[in-house]
Amino acid sequence: MVARPIVAGPLAGLVIGDPAAGMWAGALLELVSLKQLPIGANRHWDTGPAAVAATVAASMVNPAGTALLVGVGFGAIVGWAGSWSIHAMRHLNARVVASEVGRPMAPRELDSRHLAAMTIDFLRATLLTLTAVLCVLVVTPNMGGAPQSAVTLSYVALLVAAAAALGVVIGTMARGRAVMIAFGVGVLISTITTLWLR
Amino acid sequence: MAALNRQLRLRFLLRSLLIQGSWNYRTMQGAGLGFALVPLLRKLYGQDREALNRSVGRHAGFFNAHPYLATVAITALARMEEEGATVDQIERFKGALVSPLGSLGDRLVWARWRPLCVFAALVPFLAGAPWWVSTCLFLILYNAMQMGLRLWGLRLGWREGRDVGRALMSSRLRRLPDRLTIPLAITGGAVLPPLVLAFGGPSGASPIPVIGIALVLAALGYSRPTTARRAVTVGLVAASIILLGLEMTVW
Repeated sequence: MVARPIVAGPLAGLVIGDPAAGMWAGALLELVSLKQLPIGANRHWDTGPAAVAATVAASMVNPAGTALLVGVGFGAIVGWAGSWSIHAMRHLNARVVASEVGRPMAPRELDSRHLAAMTIDFLRATLLTLTAVLCVLVVTPNMGGAPQSAVTLSYVALLVAAAAALGVVIGTMARGRAVMIAFGVGVLISTITTLWLR
Repeated sequence: MAALNRQLRLRFLLRSLLIQGSWNYRTMQGAGLGFALVPLLRKLYGQDREALNRSVGRHAGFFNAHPYLATVAITALARMEEEGATVDQIERFKGALVSPLGSLGDRLVWARWRPLCVFAALVPFLAGAPWWVSTCLFLILYNAMQMGLRLWGLRLGWREGRDVGRALMSSRLRRLPDRLTIPLAITGGAVLPPLVLAFGGPSGASPIPVIGIALVLAALGYSRPTTARRAVTVGLVAASIILLGLEMTVW
């Protein structure tokens, strides 16, 4: 579960000294990627490296609004690239652990093949994360400040994306009139509470 | 039937945590299942190397289930092995478990519990709580279900053995995904207003109309999830590339 953006983002942020930026990047990436379910042979984003790349990108660009938008966009690209690396690894794993299905195998051999596959996954994720971070460092060195209009537009774009992504998650996981009413009730209670707390 | 001793139970649990480690397109979780069963197979066939290797090879064949509920299969198969079930019975049993364990786990964990935990964790952060409150809340909530399911599966599989399918059908867990639907929708709705205040605040807009617009956007995402998801991803990537380009060349 460390690979979930809501965890990996702030942890990466903690390492580079800005956990709150990591949490913002992680939260948005989480909303955008939550619809992808790791069911069967489904190809899904590799969200851990994506959250790390998003956090680093979000902390490199100024000011905050544009930084977050650049970070989440970059994270989406890394997540998508990660899904293809997982796809390739699954093919490789078939050679490592399932080259001759049903063949008698010593327990020690199965243990070492299984652990070898896990090592390959660890190396894949590490390589992907390092490559993504390197790309961020090359593409976004010492970026200057964007004008206020760009910052406002970035916040609007993030809000549009997050609200639509929220609807996508609900629409994918549960449907029906009762779900829509319950969603509305959640919005109403939260609106009253949030405005009252302000 | 002997009780599943504590040491074996712990080894099953620890090895079940790594069951997805060698997931592949040919045998899916098969090698992971074999890996998880190795401690028991060693105990059963320890003296007979050939039988042990044949059994390990068989269990490393095709298998797939939800990773958290795979413990049901691990201990049910362990019990069948201990009771001396035939190879044919074991293979048919493994095949029969794939769909119910996969379907129940996917509906319960991926489609309900995980998004529910994410939403429940996001609300306090968006409302102004420190980042670690949300991260810890997510980890605690999510892992409570994850570990609970694994431990429940270990006990159920060993207790029921080859009758585990019937026990699964009559368990209260089967109805849990439906019961979590409304809490999921309410918690999802609760995310929207603080999200609007967080991103709408810097733009200086009044919150109520912006919440209304966000609600319309969420409704669009709800009604056309596949199209909306593609549009969101492509839009985010395109916007970030344009911003980067402008930052590098104009500003």
